[in-house]
Amino acid sequence: MRTRVLVLLAMRNLRRHVRRTVLTASAMTVGGALLVFTFSIGDGSHEQWIDSGVRLAEGHVTIERPGFRVSRRIEDRLPAEVRRAAEKAFASPEVALRVVATTAKLAVTGLASSAAGSRPAQIVAVDPAAEAAFSPIDDRLVEGRYLEPDDRLAAYVGVELVDRLDLRLGSRFVVQAQDAEREIAGQLLRVVGIFRTGVPEVDQLLVHIPLATADEWLGSSGDVTNVGVVLDDSAATAGVAARVERALAGPVAGGEARVMGWREANPALAAAVAIDDFGNYLVQGFIFTIIAFGIVNTVLMSVLHRRREFAVLRALGLTPGQTGTIVLIEGLTLTAVSGFIGVGLGLAFTWGFFADGLDISGLMDEMTFSGVVVEPVIFPLLRTRRLVQVLLFILFVGAAASVYPALRAARLDVTEAMKFDR
Amino acid sequence: MRERPWPRIGWRNIGRNPRRTVLTALGLAVGFFAVVFMIGWMRGIMAELVENATSLVSGQIEIHDAEYRPDRSMFDTLGGREGIDVEAMLAAIDADEGVTAAAPRVYAGGLVSSGEATSAGMFLGVDPEREVALTRFLDELVDGRLPEPGAFEVLIGEEMARQLAAGVGDELVLVGSAADGSMANDLYTVAGVFRTGLVEFDARTAVLPIGDLQDLIYLDRDRIHEIAVATADPAEADAVAARLAEALDAGSREIEVASWTVLNPVLVDYVGLAESMYWVFIIIIFAIASFGIANTMLMATFERRREFAVMLALGATPRAIVGTVLSEAAAVGLLSLAIGSAVTFPLMVWWATAPPSLEWLFGSVTLQGALLEPSLRVGYDPAGWTWSAIGLVLTALVAALYPAAKAARVPPADTLSGL
Repeated sequence: MRTRVLVLLAMRNLRRHVRRTVLTASAMTVGGALLVFTFSIGDGSHEQWIDSGVRLAEGHVTIERPGFRVSRRIEDRLPAEVRRAAEKAFASPEVALRVVATTAKLAVTGLASSAAGSRPAQIVAVDPAAEAAFSPIDDRLVEGRYLEPDDRLAAYVGVELVDRLDLRLGSRFVVQAQDAEREIAGQLLRVVGIFRTGVPEVDQLLVHIPLATADEWLGSSGDVTNVGVVLDDSAATAGVAARVERALAGPVAGGEARVMGWREANPALAAAVAIDDFGNYLVQGFIFTIIAFGIVNTVLMSVLHRRREFAVLRALGLTPGQTGTIVLIEGLTLTAVSGFIGVGLGLAFTWGFFADGLDISGLMDEMTFSGVVVEPVIFPLLRTRRLVQVLLFILFVGAAASVYPALRAARLDVTEAMKFDR
Repeated sequence: MRERPWPRIGWRNIGRNPRRTVLTALGLAVGFFAVVFMIGWMRGIMAELVENATSLVSGQIEIHDAEYRPDRSMFDTLGGREGIDVEAMLAAIDADEGVTAAAPRVYAGGLVSSGEATSAGMFLGVDPEREVALTRFLDELVDGRLPEPGAFEVLIGEEMARQLAAGVGDELVLVGSAADGSMANDLYTVAGVFRTGLVEFDARTAVLPIGDLQDLIYLDRDRIHEIAVATADPAEADAVAARLAEALDAGSREIEVASWTVLNPVLVDYVGLAESMYWVFIIIIFAIASFGIANTMLMATFERRREFAVMLALGATPRAIVGTVLSEAAAVGLLSLAIGSAVTFPLMVWWATAPPSLEWLFGSVTLQGALLEPSLRVGYDPAGWTWSAIGLVLTALVAALYPAAKAARVPPADTLSGL
């Protein structure tokens, strides 16, 4: 009963100055809409960066030997039974639900040489069919074709490495690397395809060869250095990594395997996402500070104009707390309603882009950073968690902005306020 | 009576409700700070990217044989197979007033082996003295010292040192393909270890004195692949490159003089993209801020209906009323500009001279091959400040247009009799 009266009083006050209420509410509405739009676009592009980055690398979750990340050497390959256990963990029902593609590859650094000279190369031996589904690299074909299951001595080479070694489709070149016996071993390869990702580090270094060829060349007897999975949503990374780690508890404890999420495996990518998020948070922080000043102003003014009214209410028996509550309800209602309308509008506005993406190719071409290709078409993404965050944030701003006016109303000097007629 | 009292009346009005004025001004001041800071931070990031892309390991200008890019074949040395007079060319480059340093370089690919482990490497032959003046990556070594010419010494990247488990004093075998087609190899001692932060570069690069590398790969002393040139300011690189091309008679000698804008066009695009983002910031922030000021002005004019009615009754024109309200808005705008500047610029000076590190927030990033360390470094941008200030005052004025029009249309008789 009491509360209803308080709410009623608060609502009536909002209606008293419709124009003022609407103006303040508009700022909040625009802010709410902007918040949803910015975060959907931000999260969507981050998801694209992450997907692009992990597919060019080892997946959202990858398993390798602890020393491999540093050494990049073949003796730090995964023991065959660890690989089997990892693949079993990937296939377990809870994990398989989220898995989009899996990979198993042998990556070593080596030297690629032709008559034109020698260049360092990142040689990755793959199962052609599985890798075509895992990596976007087969779609980045410039000339020729991607590796095929029956290929022997075939190489799929980055365009800048091809240029620097003066190769062309069909030419032969030699790769050298340390083999399983720690001897330097050479292997003749033929260029069957040339790709361009746009990432300089990749186009200058990467060579894909079939796993069977690597076996013969390096004596790796079918072993790989990494197994990894691409997930349907990067947010599932921690959960999947934890499950896989539990399944591999033995080898992990024995120092034979290390389960890594993409943040750990691609720190530069994680940093890029963090920087971009930080920028977004800053801008939103500024915007909502400005909005908050507007709300404080509106609610405070409405309090100061109604000193007599509050004094009368107090004289009629309302406690200071209740007077303050009226103001708090007024401010919160104003913020919540307008903010939530804004969120709705933002969603409606973003909705159109969920299907076809937001095309910013007029502003920028394809760009690369930290080993990621940034597409000029952004697909927004709105996770429930983010939506809840946004709604809570709006409520918080409303509450924070109403505290000072509410205190003013609660501390009202009743006799002084009733003394004069305005 | 003064000719035009309206601005004074407007100015005086901001004192009528100081709390309201200050709150409104604070909103705008935060907007001003936000815009200036975000623009400055982006400037800082861009400046750091360009600096790192052009002075960490490469110069702002590179001079090659016309055929050298993009294949970077070891045979495409400056001046073709005959080579050039390196000293004379360096002297000609140094003569340009825009050039702060120039250094010759030779590149080769090969394997680096510590016996225990082998790593694919990129050999970079430099003139240590000139190189130190040109780039930053040799300025502070992680360990050891620069290699002495002729002493079979080599400097390797930190990541390579880790992969090879090699440190200062250890011996490495360098294997490379030589210019005569043979496999060249020799034994070198690690003189020092460097770190750029570019992991790929640190993992693959071995630096040798230029003569030693030429000896290893059987390249004559007058055959070099590149002369890297530094200018005082990356923005001058294009102009200096054009002057150098002329001075070196690049066209007829089949020499290419390329500035970083030619070598890394995507970085240039990115800088351009970031600059176009300024406007988005300014518009969004001030659009939000305009609601606040519109609200305040509306309240202020509503309270003063009687005053306006009296003014109109005494013969003031509606235009004069509009003038008064707009002056008040301009006064609020200037006040917030003063508050905003007082807070913003000391912070900008602090963050420009001693940028706080953001390492606790995120690690370093490479963008288009350029390293970016996490810090709150900001760059000065007087044009951006001016536009932000203009945007702020314009916002105040535009937001006051509707309240001003309302005030000018106050019906004097009704208002005065109604109260």
